[in-house]
Amino acid sequence: MADSIAFTSDRTLWHRIGRIGIYTLLAVFAFYYIMPLIVIVSTSMKDLDEIRTGHLLSLPAQINLDAWTFAWSEACIGVTCTGLKPYFWNSLAMAVPAVLISIMLGAITGYALTKFRFRGANVIFAMILFGCFIPFQVILLPMATSLGYLGVANTIPGLVLVHVVYGLPFTTLFFRNYYVNIPDDLVKAATIDGAGFFTIFWKIMLPLSLPIIVVTIIWQFTQIWNDFLFGASFTSGGNQPVTVALNNLVNTTTGVKRYNVDMAAALMTAAPTLLVYIFAGRYFVRGLTAGAVKG
Amino acid sequence: MASLNIRNVKKAFGPMEVLKGIDLDLDDGEFLVLLGPSGCGKSTLLNMIAGLDSITSGEITIDERVLNNVHPKDRDIAMVFQSYALYPNMTVGRNIGFGLEMRKVAKAERDQKVQDAARMLQIDHLLDRKPAQLSGGQRQRVAMGRALVRDPKIFLFDEPLSNLDAKLRVEMRTEIKKLHQRLGTTMVYVTHDQIEAMTLASRIAIMKDGIVQQFAPPQEVYEKPANMYVAGFVGAPAMNFIPATLVAENGKLGVSMQRTAKGNRSDVFLALNDERKELADWVGRELVLGIRPESVTHKSEAELNGTRNLQHFDCQVDVLEPTGADTLTYIELGGREVIARVNPHNTSNPGETMDFMVDMDKASLFDPKTEQRI
Amino acid sequence: MDTNNQNAVKGVGDWFRWHLSKFVVAPSFLMILFFVYGFILWTGYMSFTKSKMLPIYNFEGILQYVKLWKQPTWLASFENLFVFGSLFIAVAIAFGCILAIFLDQKIRGEGALRTIYLYPMAISFIVTGTAWKWILNPGSGIEKLVQSFGFENFEFDWLVDPDYAVYTLVIAAVWQASGFVMALFLAALRGVDGEIIKAAQLDGASISRIYMVIILPTLRPVFLSSFVILTHMAIKSFDLVVALTGGGPGNASWLPANFMFEMTFRRNQIGQGAASAMIMLATVLAIIVPYLYSELREKKHG
Repeated sequence: MADSIAFTSDRTLWHRIGRIGIYTLLAVFAFYYIMPLIVIVSTSMKDLDEIRTGHLLSLPAQINLDAWTFAWSEACIGVTCTGLKPYFWNSLAMAVPAVLISIMLGAITGYALTKFRFRGANVIFAMILFGCFIPFQVILLPMATSLGYLGVANTIPGLVLVHVVYGLPFTTLFFRNYYVNIPDDLVKAATIDGAGFFTIFWKIMLPLSLPIIVVTIIWQFTQIWNDFLFGASFTSGGNQPVTVALNNLVNTTTGVKRYNVDMAAALMTAAPTLLVYIFAGRYFVRGLTAGAVKG
Repeated sequence: MASLNIRNVKKAFGPMEVLKGIDLDLDDGEFLVLLGPSGCGKSTLLNMIAGLDSITSGEITIDERVLNNVHPKDRDIAMVFQSYALYPNMTVGRNIGFGLEMRKVAKAERDQKVQDAARMLQIDHLLDRKPAQLSGGQRQRVAMGRALVRDPKIFLFDEPLSNLDAKLRVEMRTEIKKLHQRLGTTMVYVTHDQIEAMTLASRIAIMKDGIVQQFAPPQEVYEKPANMYVAGFVGAPAMNFIPATLVAENGKLGVSMQRTAKGNRSDVFLALNDERKELADWVGRELVLGIRPESVTHKSEAELNGTRNLQHFDCQVDVLEPTGADTLTYIELGGREVIARVNPHNTSNPGETMDFMVDMDKASLFDPKTEQRI
Repeated sequence: MDTNNQNAVKGVGDWFRWHLSKFVVAPSFLMILFFVYGFILWTGYMSFTKSKMLPIYNFEGILQYVKLWKQPTWLASFENLFVFGSLFIAVAIAFGCILAIFLDQKIRGEGALRTIYLYPMAISFIVTGTAWKWILNPGSGIEKLVQSFGFENFEFDWLVDPDYAVYTLVIAAVWQASGFVMALFLAALRGVDGEIIKAAQLDGASISRIYMVIILPTLRPVFLSSFVILTHMAIKSFDLVVALTGGGPGNASWLPANFMFEMTFRRNQIGQGAASAMIMLATVLAIIVPYLYSELREKKHG
């Protein structure tokens, strides 16, 4: 559409003013969005004196990463002073298996629901899809009780289970919508060629699924890494994910308030998903729109 | 090499009956074409032969072995799909060999068979490409190669040419015909294109609303259509249907209908050369005369003296449509538009009256109520 | 394809083959059945009991709901949700729509700008809250910045003002989500049929008129889906409040999700927590169900 709205009318003065106005407004918005990131990065590199004497947008006199090392390995979170490091690994140990399991389940479920449809397949899909819409507050309490029964309360495997279960509606949605557009004839041909249910899945469907696998990995990883509610509800102490630890670190009131450490910790917490966004932004956006518009 | 028997086969999706009792018996080496409009159940029947759809009741056998409960892969059939259904992630070679791979054929033997099939279809230079890199015609050949390599008892084709452009379609049609002549394997071919059906089939089964309307060799379907539906579906331009009355004149049976000639409306009588007793019941009653355009031509004295039952009449010309070989001449008979195929050198101008000749040996008579052949 | 063939049952192996698809779907479906539907019923039941620190399973009727709607903190949370939600949704859609339209004017550096507008969506609400808490903090943030420019009397202390804390949530939430709305609108704008616009230009319509009369109305579905998504986000908002205001000052900026969490895990009022969770579910469904219904109906007719 950009082509056709090309202001084909003559390049008048007003038009030029309009262009300047558009660019100015876009720049102002860009500042609104980028400013917090600049503030986080620059504050994390200042020492406490610089923070006290300078202001929000003043730049650090020199690049000083003391706050980073402190946030990573020394800062106090509640009463333990281990830095973010162990919590960061907790998040990774939680996110990687949860992403993989929920994607495998979603892929095979989406495949079965589209390519080997049985009576009621659509109803089952609709019922699974409903899981995308519920506010999680409505399952917190039974989940806390159930994790206790299962013996995984306050553990990483417990969080993996939670994220697999509540990620499943999204992964199933993604794969189902992708597989719906792969022609049924492919499955028929493979059936006649002698391939069974799982052979068709492994040898034909999965190799065709690369784009949607990437989209789903990014979506699930972002969701799980950024989660706070489940982490805060089902874990405590040393088993918390990094988002919960960050919040505790910021709100720990013992000693001097070290804002530079807060910002360094925030940056570390945001780093994995930000990197994913920067390197695979295209897939990230596709996941957002697919998950949000259709979900 | 196999015979195929379909006995009283029915298919229902819930309360909807899609196939209402199909009976077809096919000898070894035959080429059956299932012809019909979309939704007539022809693809469902093919899928049932393949084992991709279940059989609600009835029986399908190959070489007298009942297949109802046999998995597709154990039926010894191969199928070519309209969309080709090539595996996009595999090379052409692996696509063709996939069926053998699944049947655990040794690699060396598999490669040899893939090579042979590819050479037969002239795609041996494409074996390392992916389907996305091929043209439509090449994909079609790969799909056929995949069926060929398996050396099955029966080949199934599901509208294999409808995704090709007109020129390629004719080419591939000939290719399939050659293939059948060379292999002599039984083939079942689904299409809605009557020309494909006529050119390829040893027998055509014309289907409509889940019922086989006629099951016969192409020429018989063309010359002696079982009902008005078949008559109208096969042949282009379609058969002319003319409301007429059966009358006896001078002891001869014939049909009578109105036409305009030289500005006057009057009846014309066309004598039939039909001695069947049943016809006597129809005297004085309305029926439908079915006559193909090529059986209505300009009057030729030389031919009239031959042995065929040629009748002639004059009629006003309405419209001319030259096609090169013939000129389609539109006239009005019995209140209906009728097309005659006239040699371009014998045409008259619109509005003029011209002498026509009808080959009544080729005429069909239909009951206007049941639309069945009389 | 139809593998649901009753005729074909012949021995256990065949039966298994025909039903394989169901076996494969079963684990996922049972998990959802238990962890979503079962848990909703469980929470629903709990909201009809007098559970306090531990669940009690004696049915007590709508007692908890009556109590809930008399609690000032719940009423305040719900009111906050209304204020926060409507502002957040309106501003995010306005920003997103304007940005998308402006970005669609053959802008140099569009790719970079898009990246900048959208990156907050990749970040955890906890990080967002931490950053904005620092920026909005009167002693260190914007207030100090403006004062250092020479405006000594400038005040900007919404974060610590009970009447205004809820608006800081709007600022941070809009920052996080409006880029995403922009992406939705931009995708839709790129899909508008260029011929319509050419025809309108030939008819002599000005650019602004073309947008108002032709393009924006065709974007109605995007407005609707943005509205639904943002509403969903607003009702679920929890982390941002925890990180930005901590619900404070006092509990002036609590949202229902915070109320639920506090009651359930901190104040031993499980029954109240369950009742508030059910109200949240009902609110979400009240928005989502009509939306999905109209979407599905449109698909069937289209």
